[in-house]
Amino acid sequence: MTPPAIVHRALAEGLGMIAVCDHNSARNAAAVQAAAGARLAVLAGMEITTVEECHVVALFPDAEAAQAAGAEVGATLGHVDDGYESFFGEQHVLAADGSERARETLALAMATPLDVDAVIGLVHAHGGLAIAAHIDRRSFGVIGQLGIFPAEAGFDAVELSRHVAPGSPEEAAFAVHGLPIVHSSDAHYQSDIGAARTIVHCERPTFAELALALAGARGRSVGDA
Amino acid sequence: MKLEDIARELGLAELTPEVTDNREAEIERGYASDLLSDVLAHAPEGGVLVTLQVHLNVIAVASHAELAAVIFAGGRRPDEEVRAKAIAEGVSLYVSPADTFDVVGRLYALGVKGNHA
Repeated sequence: MTPPAIVHRALAEGLGMIAVCDHNSARNAAAVQAAAGARLAVLAGMEITTVEECHVVALFPDAEAAQAAGAEVGATLGHVDDGYESFFGEQHVLAADGSERARETLALAMATPLDVDAVIGLVHAHGGLAIAAHIDRRSFGVIGQLGIFPAEAGFDAVELSRHVAPGSPEEAAFAVHGLPIVHSSDAHYQSDIGAARTIVHCERPTFAELALALAGARGRSVGDA
Repeated sequence: MKLEDIARELGLAELTPEVTDNREAEIERGYASDLLSDVLAHAPEGGVLVTLQVHLNVIAVASHAELAAVIFAGGRRPDEEVRAKAIAEGVSLYVSPADTFDVVGRLYALGVKGNHA
């Protein structure tokens, strides 16, 4: 999953915009943006693990905001120890050409001590969008972890995994929460890129347009409309 | 009580027959939690963990805490990737159809205690 490989795969899959959301870190987003150049819109984000072990997908206006939020999240994490890499792999920070810039020593695979409300607050404070990740999944989804969907938490959207088809009755069941639905691949491997995608009706593939689309503002929207 | 005797008494299904080292281990302590950061902080070395979480992080934590076994309650089963990692790490996995409260209660009755006993 080097930046050039990600960009290549996304373009091959016909995607117009992707978001890079490493666990609890935004250190690789700018490199993927640089690798993409004008060919592909790349949003800088993170997938943050709350103390309740829920995943929150965070998307930011730019890499700087993502990095600042990432630093705040990172400050709550411990460091890797012996045996960590055998479970979770090496945590590479890569340059745009795919070469290794640094090794991340924070234990990104662990939960932060931040609860759902604190994570959403942190994301919003940095101008980002907070999306309840893969709520159809039992592991790490807010419904599976908390028992009920936290309607007052302030999420900007809910995300469904590739296992729920757009337009299906299963998808419709999640619309009850009153939030826009996005579909994501949650790709951890290159071959998973494109396994799910969201149709965004907007003027151009940018963060600002996506924010309008999720808000259903000024004629922008997500999904079939 | 030995782990294999506990498994028999509780009617646990063994998911990792490939792991044989733990069967004769004397289990004196246990822990029950579904938040892995909590397990990491408190689970007693050489003990058993009772949990609902079946994802890979459970094995990482069990290995790090040097637990003898993980008992999944509520009939929840991990996938093959998780089972394989447990085997590689020497962590025994079991599953019980009973819920956490009942599993823990029966362990306690067999003499397996918590941190504050």
